[in-house]
Amino acid sequence: MKQNSTQKKLFFMSSLRIRSFLCSAMLLLLLLSAGNVFAQNITVKGRVTHDNGQPVQRPSVMVKGTSNGVTGDDNGNYSLSAPANATLVISAVDFTTQEIKVNNQATLNVTLVVLDKSMGEVVVVGYGSVRRKDVTGAISSVSEQALREVPVANLQQALIGRAAGLEIQAVGNRPGAGAQIRIRGNRSISGSNEPLFVVDGIPYDGNLNDINPDEVASIDILKDASATAIYGSRGANGVILISTKKGRNGETRISYNGYVGIGTPAFKYPVFNSQEYQAMRNLSTFNGGYMAEEQVGITQGRNTDWQELMYENSIRTDHNINVSGGNGGNTFSLGGGYYKETALMPGEEYTRYTLRSTIDSRIGKKIRVGLSTQNTVSIELGSQFVSGNAMFRTVVLSPLMPPYNPDGSIYIMPNGNVDDNNGDGRYSPLLLKEGKQTWVDKVRRLRTFNTLYGEYEFIKGLRYRFNLGLNYAQQNGGQFKGSDQPPNNPSFFRPAAGNTARIDNGDTWGYTAENLLFYDRTIAGKHKIGFTGLYSVQETQSYNSYVQKDSITEDFVQFYNMGAASPTPVAATAGGESRSGLISYMGRINYSFMDRYLLTFTYRRDGSSRLAPGHQWFNYPAVSAGWVISDESFMKNIKQVSSLKLRAGWGKTSNQSIDPYQSKGLVNNNNGLGSSGTIGAAGSFIRYNYGPTIVNGYNVVTLPNPDLSWEFTNTVNIGLDFGLFKGRVTGSMEYYNSKTDKILYAVNLPVTSGVAGAFQTNVGEMENKGFEFSVSSVNYQSKSGFNWSTDLNFFFNKNKLLKLSNNVTQDVGSQLFVGYPMTAIYDYVNAGIWQNSEAAEALALGAMPGQIKLLDIGGPNKTPPDGVVNDNDRRIIGDMDADFQGGITNRFSYKGFDLSAVIHARLGGLLVSSLHAPLASYLTILNGVRNSLKVDYWTPTNPSNWFPMPQAQVATITDGAKTLAYYDASFVRLRSVNLGYTFSKDLLKRFGTQNLRLYFSIDNVALLYSPYYDKTGIDPQATAAGDRGVGGNLGNIRENGRGNGALVIGLGTPPRRTFTFGLNLSL
Amino acid sequence: MPGCKKVLEEKPYTVFSVDYFKTPSGFQNGVNAVYSGMRFLFGPEGAASMATSGTDEWAMGDQARAGAAGDLTSFCNYTLDNTGGSILTPWNRSFNNINLANFLVEFAPDIAIPDADKKVALGEVRFLRALYYLNLVQYFGAVPLDLGAGDLKPNTTPYQGFNRLPTGEVFVKNYQAIIDDLVFATLNLPDKRPAGAFKLSKAAAFHLLAKAYIHRAYSTAAVSSDFANAYTAATEVINNPAKYGVALQTYYADVHKPNNDYNSEILFSIERIPGNYAADEVPNPDGIGGTKGMDVSNDFCGNYTAVRAPLNTSATVPVVNRTVQYGRPIRRWCPTPWLYNTAFADKFNDSRFEGSFRTAYIASATGGGYTSGVDTGFVMALTDRIADSLNGIAPVGPRLKPYRVVAPREFYFVSGSLNGNQDATSNMYPSLSKYEDPSKGVPNYPGGRPFPVCKLGETYLLAAEAALGSGNAAAAMTLINVLKQRAVNRPGLSPGELTARYDAIKLTAPGQVTLDFILDERTRELCGESMRWGDLAVRNKLISRVQLYNSDASANIRANKHELRPIPKEQLDRIIDPDKQKYQNPGY
Repeated sequence: MKQNSTQKKLFFMSSLRIRSFLCSAMLLLLLLSAGNVFAQNITVKGRVTHDNGQPVQRPSVMVKGTSNGVTGDDNGNYSLSAPANATLVISAVDFTTQEIKVNNQATLNVTLVVLDKSMGEVVVVGYGSVRRKDVTGAISSVSEQALREVPVANLQQALIGRAAGLEIQAVGNRPGAGAQIRIRGNRSISGSNEPLFVVDGIPYDGNLNDINPDEVASIDILKDASATAIYGSRGANGVILISTKKGRNGETRISYNGYVGIGTPAFKYPVFNSQEYQAMRNLSTFNGGYMAEEQVGITQGRNTDWQELMYENSIRTDHNINVSGGNGGNTFSLGGGYYKETALMPGEEYTRYTLRSTIDSRIGKKIRVGLSTQNTVSIELGSQFVSGNAMFRTVVLSPLMPPYNPDGSIYIMPNGNVDDNNGDGRYSPLLLKEGKQTWVDKVRRLRTFNTLYGEYEFIKGLRYRFNLGLNYAQQNGGQFKGSDQPPNNPSFFRPAAGNTARIDNGDTWGYTAENLLFYDRTIAGKHKIGFTGLYSVQETQSYNSYVQKDSITEDFVQFYNMGAASPTPVAATAGGESRSGLISYMGRINYSFMDRYLLTFTYRRDGSSRLAPGHQWFNYPAVSAGWVISDESFMKNIKQVSSLKLRAGWGKTSNQSIDPYQSKGLVNNNNGLGSSGTIGAAGSFIRYNYGPTIVNGYNVVTLPNPDLSWEFTNTVNIGLDFGLFKGRVTGSMEYYNSKTDKILYAVNLPVTSGVAGAFQTNVGEMENKGFEFSVSSVNYQSKSGFNWSTDLNFFFNKNKLLKLSNNVTQDVGSQLFVGYPMTAIYDYVNAGIWQNSEAAEALALGAMPGQIKLLDIGGPNKTPPDGVVNDNDRRIIGDMDADFQGGITNRFSYKGFDLSAVIHARLGGLLVSSLHAPLASYLTILNGVRNSLKVDYWTPTNPSNWFPMPQAQVATITDGAKTLAYYDASFVRLRSVNLGYTFSKDLLKRFGTQNLRLYFSIDNVALLYSPYYDKTGIDPQATAAGDRGVGGNLGNIRENGRGNGALVIGLGTPPRRTFTFGLNLSL
Repeated sequence: MPGCKKVLEEKPYTVFSVDYFKTPSGFQNGVNAVYSGMRFLFGPEGAASMATSGTDEWAMGDQARAGAAGDLTSFCNYTLDNTGGSILTPWNRSFNNINLANFLVEFAPDIAIPDADKKVALGEVRFLRALYYLNLVQYFGAVPLDLGAGDLKPNTTPYQGFNRLPTGEVFVKNYQAIIDDLVFATLNLPDKRPAGAFKLSKAAAFHLLAKAYIHRAYSTAAVSSDFANAYTAATEVINNPAKYGVALQTYYADVHKPNNDYNSEILFSIERIPGNYAADEVPNPDGIGGTKGMDVSNDFCGNYTAVRAPLNTSATVPVVNRTVQYGRPIRRWCPTPWLYNTAFADKFNDSRFEGSFRTAYIASATGGGYTSGVDTGFVMALTDRIADSLNGIAPVGPRLKPYRVVAPREFYFVSGSLNGNQDATSNMYPSLSKYEDPSKGVPNYPGGRPFPVCKLGETYLLAAEAALGSGNAAAAMTLINVLKQRAVNRPGLSPGELTARYDAIKLTAPGQVTLDFILDERTRELCGESMRWGDLAVRNKLISRVQLYNSDASANIRANKHELRPIPKEQLDRIIDPDKQKYQNPGY
């Protein structure tokens, strides 16, 4: 049967699946449902209160053993329909769960006790949710409150330092900048190590910037394989489950959350002042002499601070309105958001508009349907080319040069040498701030992410659910650089050239169709059995196209009409496509005995199009168990311990580390020259010409490998959850050991194999072992209303590469070393600078005082030192993994006031500062051509042990200067301080207001500890995986296209410190 | 379920497999790629660095001397190790194209194209494969013929070995393969190339075959008939110019003149299109090196934007703006004193110095008495005497020219030292003009003109050298004198002047022809054309001539090491064998 449209095909397939599930449902019915009693439903109403009499806001009231339930309102009132003989389960965050029999009563008021909050929470797990008490895997949860404490652009930033085992490193300070996320370390060399994101049950592979943090109700992080195995081939890197806000039963509410923040530079790049600049230049190899205007500057004692002139205050503002309500199981929520952020450098801006809605509806007693839709439009300005070049100029311009002419106009070529006046970055960056803007750099993205479900309850405890997720994203990038018309209209980005325009369009769509069957039953009051079954199909396709054209007729056309241009040079074009499909079966059985002994089995089977036929299907089993020790009779007398649970689990997962079509081998027309250029990026395709006739060329890029498979991770996890002192202290500890095998390893073949591209093969093994600890405590609680509580988490992860391919213990070309972490750095040993007193020792190695002291460690084949510094002297000198990481949040409250402070720490490991690798950044080259980042360099009278003397050869071996890039990466950062005041309910009632909180917060408050900062004056936060700004790949760190590249510190918009005023209001 | 099967099928639109080369269009696109790969080896800075740095012709320009150009210094002064970036240019850019050539040769019998076309395509592929190998062998000695699937077989396995041992044996096989491929090319390529394009032809194949025989003749793989075979191949072209459609240009200066790229003296060039960076495979023309562009159009350029005029104390810099014609003064290589003073001692009778170098610059900024695009800004005088006379220094008198006349003693390094009025001339020296590209659009961008690889002028030199090697110095003298005769031609000279000038430079006795003389003459004819280092190395003349003529390099260069470049570290890192050193060339 030929399918005409995807929709039709979907419907056809899903109806088939419904039928097959009906069959299995019947079987289950026969097996398990004998003797079910149906009772008459009545309406039960009531109020849930605190043991101190205050209402419990929004309690959850469920009919026991079903998914039938409601959420009460802010005053604790609830109403639901339940069988007259049912038991209600009443729960709320921070309270003990109560069970109460209906016994035909229409009003049931319930009092909840604040006790052990960790055990009562509902935790979202894959394909469902469970009580915290019933969890058997390693799961961390981050509450809505915690997410609010740091005003941020995106979820990644909100999660930094907030959960044990979750390592998030922000990358760059661009508006809307992203972050690198790792759960329990790296386990893939060439595949992605990013976790799977699941939004409201549907896997989400879009840009996280498209999710408005204000729409998120909670985040649950599945860390171990027993929890993630139900995501099978995508579970290995952990899973982050995001639940968005839903409507609740009760009167319709409107709420507003918003803030406005102003940012200032948290620091400026330290550069030489004009005195220091002259000292460096006079000592350097540069012999071009000072420019005439610099001579004037010397006479006048000029000292231009270019950064001071360039930076402007940044703005960050966020506004969200949400309306929600519902009754009788029909609930809705509508919301809209607006977020805008600018950077310190002019021209960079990020704006996001969001619109969302959820509807959940009950049709009769057995059917529930719902829809949730999230729509985002974001616009990034200046993200593609603005900051790199402008930042470089801002840092390296001569401080002797004037920013302005005497008449107040911009001095347009303030370079300290003739060459730069002819160069590509010749103009003053002030043109970006104050001049006529002749460029456009804009990326606009539209994403719509929709989930639709229908649920049918056959009989009590047996439900079928169909989920459909539809995702579409479109991204349009436009660039325009106007033509240069000096002196009146110089073009900062196109000196001495005509204009150029570029557009690229990317388009991704996908669907997920899931058929789920749930069965829950309690046998003899003690045996609880739950079953979840899944059959799902998922497909994704994306493609992009790209056009670049020079010589647009008029600058005002920008990129809006590439046809309005001269026919030559011809436009450069490119494009690409990729599609993948995944089919899955999954079953999960939960069993508990007396709520005390818990067992979970899961089994998933995934088939993927990315693998070669015959190798597409793999199985993912997992098992885990829990023992609630505190329920045992022998614990009853230990009053201090309010809860104690031991968990253990094992599971197998993998990651989808193979790109579509990768197993096929590759012949293409790519010449390997990259496409990052500003003009003629189409120069990255193999072409040739015979006279005027231009032709295409194709070459072999990679070898086919039909045996490619996923990388499999086996994890053992042991965890202990505890609650002490009536739940005032709660926490958990986890130990895990995961081993990943069949790691895809891109063997960099010697080029003499005749294939330029690396060869992907499953050969490696890697290990991650670690320990995690998190605790929440109420430290102080006074009658007067003063409260102090603390959330603390810390963890460490030891990553070790166990095996590459056979007998290969190191692959220097790929920077991989068996027995060491994946981020190991292999280089010469830099012992500082050769001092005058060491002249003889230096000379023996061909060096002289003032050069980098590279140690002669050995000769060929591990023989003793041989008197030369060469390849044989390279060693593992460290790695980039942190030894210890954690976060601590302290919260204080007194009456209406609340104060919180969030601290994030990352200790140990090396960072790579490409800023300080002279030939990578040109920022510390000290050759006198331009100004430099301030470094303490050696001179005969200044025995610095850090930077070498400015000279032609700073080391006896060409790439020895790279060793200047390594520093201790440790830091402790006070990320934010947040002070709020909540107005009293009584006061608000008079204004018809439910809740009003005003707050003030400061982010990026202080670096409490950072050896790198102490030495260089630069923030230790990474700016890129390689090349933003001027930092290129140093060749000494690993890099790949899947975000596994080492994070490096290059040049970028400096970090901001933002002062934010905000309010939360609900009516 | 049938629908599900489809979900798991891959049907890529944009990804091809090796089978693509079995289709007629795929086969042709493979041939195109083998041609295109040559762009890496002729024109980019890495390739030029390998061929130019540390020779008797070229010393360090100030940008190489200051180390700003990365590893260039180490190539120029022989402190290079196996990490230097330039060695990767030929190393990394050759073997994948050789393997592709192997595929095409292997698949050719089954390709559905006419036999005549197939013959030509195979001739092209095998010529180019030979050129890749010839280039590699001159730098590295033995290199693998067996990439993992047998000698000259297409490799489809992830091979992590390195088949260059024993080097002596492999080296012999290398030359034999080169010669076999070129002999095939001489039999199968068309006689002539098209008028306005550089498709390969028999003339180029004979030329390169002669060169390959000559290279082998000096090597440990030498066969006694090499010089004789070289002579036969080279003279085949020289003696049948009509058949092969070749002829020397009347004026030497025309050979490399812009807009004359397809002249009859050039047998084969690696092609590009000026100003078309998409066609030329230059993704980022703002950058220096690393792509397939003609960096050589800037690499030899002195710092003309800093020369003050009319006096070295004047405030005016008349050529302060870079021009498209003169290019970006990247200042990698400047002439050695030997090149300027000895090889080109006679710049008057022999037109080849002025045909190769730019010595006059037109103002590019208006001011100080100069009009942009009209007035001469400065000239580089041929001798100190001329400069002193025009400047009114000796004999003392008024300045005879309104522009600056820079004396050779003021040139950067040409006088053998770096100090002579350096601020005044600020790193200026006569700049190689052969690759100037007035059509490239932006001064800083790499050029886009075809890069000549086989010129008929060189065919004469190869024939002469082969004659000398075969003991026939008289024939060598005759051939050399053809070039001398042409070298005196300048527009507007009378027959009498031409005769007088020819008499001044021609060879008069066969004994004058020696290998060193041949090398001197190659400089005059081929200076800066990315072949000098190999020319010296394969003729076992590198060490002695560099020690004599290049003071930048003489201190560090040593015998039994620097005759070959090191095998790149990256290569050794990537092979499985833990004993890397045995694959390395001696001394590294």
